[in-house]
Amino acid sequence: MTILERVERARRTLRATAIAAAALRGLAAALGILLLSATVDAFVSLPAGARRLVPFVAAATAIALFLRRLSRAGVRADAGSAALWIEARFPSLRYALVTAVDPRYEGRVPEIERAAAQVSFEPAVRRAARRALTGPSIAVAACVLVLLVLPAGAVARVIRPAAGDALSRVRAGSRTNPLASMVVRVSPPAYAGLRDESFDNPASVRALVGSAITLEGVAGDGQVVATLGGSRTSASPSGDRWRLVLAMPSAPAAVRLHAAAHERLLVLEPVPDSAPVVVLTAPARDSILRKPSGRIRLSATASDDYGLASGAFELIVSSGGGENFTFKSRTIGAATFASRSGELAATISLDSIGLQPGDMLHLRAIVRDRNDVTGPGTGTSDTRTLRIARADEYDSVAVDPSPPPEAEKNALSQRMLLMMALALEKKRPQISHATLVGESRSIALDQTRLRKRVGEIVFTRLGEDTGEEGDAVQKRLDQQANPDSVLAAADRAASAAAGTALEGDHDETPLLALNRPLLEAYNAMWSASGELEVGEPGKAVPFMKKALDALQAARSAERIYLRGRTRAVVVDIDRVRLQGKDKGAPGARTPRPAADPSRDDRIRRFDAALRLVRTAPSAAVDSLLLLRLDLLDRDMAAARAIETAANTLRGGHDATSALIRARRALTSVPSAPAPLTSWGSPP
Amino acid sequence: MSDFTFCTVQYDSGDWDSAPLVPANLIDSVARYTSISVAPTGVIVPLGSAELFKYPLAYLTGHLPVRFSELERRTLGEYCGRGGMLFVDDHNHDIDGVFHKSAHEEIARAVGPLKELPNTHALYSSFFKFDDGPPATTHELNGWGDNLVHKHLLAVMRGDRISVLYSSKDYSSEWGYHPDNKRFLSVDNTKFGVNIVVYALTR
Repeated sequence: MTILERVERARRTLRATAIAAAALRGLAAALGILLLSATVDAFVSLPAGARRLVPFVAAATAIALFLRRLSRAGVRADAGSAALWIEARFPSLRYALVTAVDPRYEGRVPEIERAAAQVSFEPAVRRAARRALTGPSIAVAACVLVLLVLPAGAVARVIRPAAGDALSRVRAGSRTNPLASMVVRVSPPAYAGLRDESFDNPASVRALVGSAITLEGVAGDGQVVATLGGSRTSASPSGDRWRLVLAMPSAPAAVRLHAAAHERLLVLEPVPDSAPVVVLTAPARDSILRKPSGRIRLSATASDDYGLASGAFELIVSSGGGENFTFKSRTIGAATFASRSGELAATISLDSIGLQPGDMLHLRAIVRDRNDVTGPGTGTSDTRTLRIARADEYDSVAVDPSPPPEAEKNALSQRMLLMMALALEKKRPQISHATLVGESRSIALDQTRLRKRVGEIVFTRLGEDTGEEGDAVQKRLDQQANPDSVLAAADRAASAAAGTALEGDHDETPLLALNRPLLEAYNAMWSASGELEVGEPGKAVPFMKKALDALQAARSAERIYLRGRTRAVVVDIDRVRLQGKDKGAPGARTPRPAADPSRDDRIRRFDAALRLVRTAPSAAVDSLLLLRLDLLDRDMAAARAIETAANTLRGGHDATSALIRARRALTSVPSAPAPLTSWGSPP
Repeated sequence: MSDFTFCTVQYDSGDWDSAPLVPANLIDSVARYTSISVAPTGVIVPLGSAELFKYPLAYLTGHLPVRFSELERRTLGEYCGRGGMLFVDDHNHDIDGVFHKSAHEEIARAVGPLKELPNTHALYSSFFKFDDGPPATTHELNGWGDNLVHKHLLAVMRGDRISVLYSSKDYSSEWGYHPDNKRFLSVDNTKFGVNIVVYALTR
C-alpha cells in the first residue's frame, strides 16, 4: 500500500468519525431535551401547547448542534488535510507526509516517501476516532436508559402530545386523589358527524345536547360517585382507572364528583342544535286571486348547522267566516336532504285543491333536521296567504271581510226589550196606570235608542258618514223623518253609490236588498216605540217580535263591509266610573323587581369565593364554577371571565388579574332593556 | 301619570280584528269597577312596531292561522322581555283548530312554551276572586268549538310573572258586545277581564 493510499484511508476514517460524533452529539442533545421535558412534566404538568413544541425544539437543537460540530471539526476533504492532521500528531515526520501526498512532488522524491512510510500513524487515527465517539455515545446511551426508566406514558406525553393524555403522568395508588387528574372525552351524537374530542382537566365542557360525556381518572382513594341534578352515578373500574359516562343535559348543569374526602366540580354546558332556517322564496308575497285556477310555483331554501333531513310545503285552506271556519291541510313537495343546505320546489294546481271564492290558502315550508337525539328540530318559513276573491268584490281591491258590527248584539237587546214588554203586559192588572205608562216609556226609550243604532248601521253601509254619535240618523229623526223617508233615502243612496253596475232582484239594488232586513227591523221598532210611548206594551209586542225576526234574518245574511270603517266605541268613562254592581278587592301591589335582581346576589357570591382563595383555593374554584353556571344564560362575558379566573386558580397560578377582570365583568352595568312606559295609577 | 290604554295587537296573518268590541267592553269594566285612569278608546298597534312598548297589556285574538313574521316574533320577544304582558284568546274556542295550534307554535318560538297556569295563581285574585280559576264562557257551556270546558288557562312565565296569557275559552266572543248592554246581565261576565288588566298593571 502506497503512502498516498494510507493517507487516503486515514482521511476517510477521520471524516466518518467527525460526522458520527456530530450526529451523536446532536442526538444526545435532542434526547436530553426530551428527558428534561418528561422529567419536568412528571412533577409539574406542562401545558399541551408547550409539550407540542418539545419534539420540534429537540429536533432543531439536534440539527443545529450537528452542523455546528461538523463545521468546527472541519471536513477533511483531501489527502493534504488528513496528512496535516497526522503531521500534527507525529512531528518527527517533519512535513515528509505532506510533501509525499502533494501532487506536485508525487514520485519525484523517493527518500521522502520512504521516510514517511516508516511511520505507522493508523493506530493514532483509530484512537482518535474512538475518543471522539466515546463521549457522545455514552451521553446517548444514558439518555436512552433514563427515558426507558421513565413511565411510558410520561415519555409519550412529550413525544406524541395529545389532548386527553393527562392521565399518563399519574400513577394509581390507594392514597392518590382519584379526582386530581381527569380526562373528559366528548362523543357527539352520530347525526352531527363530528369527531370525538378529549380534554385534560377541564373545568367545564361544551358539547351538543345528548353527547356522551366520558369522565376518566386514575383509581385512588375511594369510589368515585357523580351527582348530576338529583341522580347519582358510580364510576366503573377499568384497569387502574375509573370511568363514568354521562349524557349532556339540555340545560347547563354542574356535575359534583365525590371520592372519599375529595370533591370536584365539572360544569356541563350544552350546545343546542339550532332549528333549520327556512326561507320561502316563491310566492314572494301575499296576494288575492281572482279565480281559484292555474298553477303556482313554490320554492324555498333551507340550511342547518348539522344537516337537514327532510322538508315539505304545508298548505292550509281556511273556508268560512264569522264564527264558522273550516280548515283542511296537506303537504306537498316532500324531499329528503343529505347535506347542510338544500332547496325545496313544488308546483300546486289551484284547481285540484277545490278552492271556493272567499277561501284562503296559507302556504309555508317546513324543514326538519337530522337531530335524532333531542329533535328533530323543525324550521318553518314565513307564511304566504293567497285569498280567492268573492265575485262581488271584483270592483274593489280594498274590499275585505271585516268583523260584523252590532247587528246580532242588537238582536239580543231587542229580545231583552221584548221580554221586558211582555213582563210589563203580564203585570199590567197589578199596577197603576201611571206606573204602567212610566215603565212603558222607559222601554220605549231603549227601543228608540236601539232603533237609532240600527239606522246608523244601515247608513254606514250606504256610505254616508253618520258621525260618531249617529249624527246622520239623529238629523233625520230631528227632521221628523219617518220609515218611508228613511227607506227612500237608503234607496237613493244605494242607487247613487252602486250606479247601474249593481243589479239586484226585481226593482231593488243589491245594496238595498242587503239592508232590507235591517230596514224592516227599523220600521217595526219605529211602530213599537210609538205604542210603548202611549203605555200600550201589549200592542207593541207584535212589532217588537217582527223587529226581532228581521234582525235574526239580518244576522244570517251575508254581509260585506268596507275594511277600516269599523266604528270605534268610545266609552263614557265618567258616566260608568265605579258604577259596577260588584266590588273587587285589589291585592297588595308588589313593587316590580329591578331589571336584574339576582345581580347583587351574584356579586355577594363572587366576594365570598374571593375570601376562600387564600384559605381553600379548591373551594373557591368550585364556588366560581357554580357562579359561572348561573351566568351562562344571562351574561356570557362575565361567565367567560370567571372561567378564566377559575382555571388560573386551579392551575395554581397567580389569579389576581383574572379575578379583577371577572369582578369588573360581573359588576359592569347590565344591558337591561328599557322598561315599558308608565300606565296609570293602581286601582 | 298617563292613562292605561287598551291595546289590540294587529298581526300580518289571520283576522286580528275579529273581536272589535272587546276593547271597549273591557275599558268600560275597568272604569266601572276600578279607579284606574283609563283611556276611553283602545288602540290598534302592529305587532312588529316599537309602538307596542308603550302598552303594558296587549290583546291578541283571531280565528285563522297565526304566522308571525320575523320582525313580529322579535318584537314580541322584546316586549315580553321588557315586562309587557300579552293576552291571547282563541276566538275559535277549539284546541284542535288552526289558531290554537299555530298560535302555540308562534308563541313558543317568540317567547317560550305555554304551560298550564294553576287556578290558585294571583291572576285569579288580583281584583275579583275566582276560586275555581278562569270563569267558563257560554261557548264552552253550550258545547261549541271543541266541546270542552277548559279548566285552566295557559301561560308563559318570566320568573313568577305572566308574560303571555293564553285562553282557549273564547272570551273574545263572551265579551264581544257593546258595553251598554252590560246592564242586562245579572252577572257581569267581563269581571275576569278586569283581573287581567289589574294583574298586568300591578304585578
